Amino acid sequence: MTWSQLGLVARQVGSDLWAQLWTHVLTAGAMAMAMLVFGLFLLLQENLQSLLKGWGDQIQVNIYLNKSLGATEVSLLRETIQNYPEVERARYISQEQAWKDFQAALGSQSNLLEGLPQDVLPASFEIAVKAAYRDGPIIEAVAERLRKEQGVAAVEYPQEWVNRLSRIVLAVQGLQWVFGGMLFVAIFFIVGSAVRLSILARKDAIEIMQWVGAPPELIRGPFVVEGLIQGISGAALSVLGLWSLFLFLHNQLATPMDPLGSLGQLQFIDFQSVCFMVGLGGLLGTLASVFSLRRFMTTWKG
Amino acid sequence: MIRLFHVSKVYPPNAAALRDINLQIDKGEFVFLTGPSGAGKSTLLKLLFRQEEPSEGQILINGKSVTKLNNRGVARLRRQMGLVFQEFKFLPYMTALDNVALAALVVGAPRRESYTKGYRLLCDLGLKEKCNAKPLALSGGEQQRIAIARALINDPIVMLADEPTGNLDPASADETMHLLLRIQERGTTILIASHNHDLVQRYGTRIVSLRQGCLMDDAERARGEWAR
Repeated sequence: MTWSQLGLVARQVGSDLWAQLWTHVLTAGAMAMAMLVFGLFLLLQENLQSLLKGWGDQIQVNIYLNKSLGATEVSLLRETIQNYPEVERARYISQEQAWKDFQAALGSQSNLLEGLPQDVLPASFEIAVKAAYRDGPIIEAVAERLRKEQGVAAVEYPQEWVNRLSRIVLAVQGLQWVFGGMLFVAIFFIVGSAVRLSILARKDAIEIMQWVGAPPELIRGPFVVEGLIQGISGAALSVLGLWSLFLFLHNQLATPMDPLGSLGQLQFIDFQSVCFMVGLGGLLGTLASVFSLRRFMTTWKG
Repeated sequence: MIRLFHVSKVYPPNAAALRDINLQIDKGEFVFLTGPSGAGKSTLLKLLFRQEEPSEGQILINGKSVTKLNNRGVARLRRQMGLVFQEFKFLPYMTALDNVALAALVVGAPRRESYTKGYRLLCDLGLKEKCNAKPLALSGGEQQRIAIARALINDPIVMLADEPTGNLDPASADETMHLLLRIQERGTTILIASHNHDLVQRYGTRIVSLRQGCLMDDAERARGEWAR
């Protein structure tokens, strides 16, 4: 394509976008709404993943010891546990320490413990697992081995919650693509219809260009560029909408009403995801345009 | 230049527009295609600039078959042709000069060159003062001259015209015909479909007559002799 032809495509795109401004604005708006839903799923998924990662970092296995265990046996057990390749550190909590911690946790309501013997809580080990081993099946295997150690009364670890959250993340991912798929089909038709309108509006110009022997890419090029621009602008609008919604949630809902304070930790989708959304919008717009051109400009007739 | 071998065109389901046409047109000829409405004149032109494909037969233009061409091939073929029709088909929001230059720009000519050439052509055709006018503000004859300028800007070797005077008054029709004769003098082959008997007899040298899709007659005389 020569420079003059490229200039012609650029002018054609500009004049088309201007001539059918409202059609294009409405198309980009409809596309933004559809992509906003996809973006919301992306936001939810990324935040759940971040939460999952945070939990993963805090994963520890607690083992509770038999009350009859002596100091030597505790020392031996600590040594054994420390030798586990998966274990980063093991912190011993004596019965006295456990009692103090429990009292501190209850705070002003610690008087509830009055009358209870101070050795009611068992001694325990808090075991931190190395990052490389913070995986469901591995932690389960470690717990199983610990359960079989001499003097261990019970083993507890929060894997059940991690597993549940992992399943939720997977479900959100699944829903994201199911809904996303449906929305993408909708986007395809929305942009396709807009391009079809453009084709109809420029029927005479197309015919003249065909008469004088314009190359196919020059005739189709402006529509493809229009689809690309619509896709990108629709996706950019959806990112903007998502950002506004995120700010609203972050500023308005992260108040004392939020018992966990988790909304205050809400994160916006990362830069890669923003680029992914905009790129996806551009790709969908371009494909819709190409598809529309194939459908409505099938013949090379004047 | 143009060769048709046993060319037929049948529109579905079974309407034959052209039947077994054999025709040869040499470089620089000025040929009229005549016949009543429905004779197949426009269909024949459409086959030549590949708006339609023949159902049977072969068409060669400059030794190359145009029967089976892809989109790019059709575009290349049309760059060698100038097309003029009864309907002028202008972009109404562009000036006369823009409309003419556009035809050169789309085939890749530089902008400056396209506009310079378009301006010269419009001047040649007596439209110097109308370059910046919108086509729809001009008379039928002027619009036809703009259409001819547009058809000429890419230096076609063949000019196909379908009822080029159909929308014009007699004076404008004569003007258009003189213009086409001038173009022929430059060596361009001209093929005009027309059912204007008077025009054909006054300007024709070679007249090809069609009736119900069949070639009925193909005769040559000196210009003006048909009218006697």
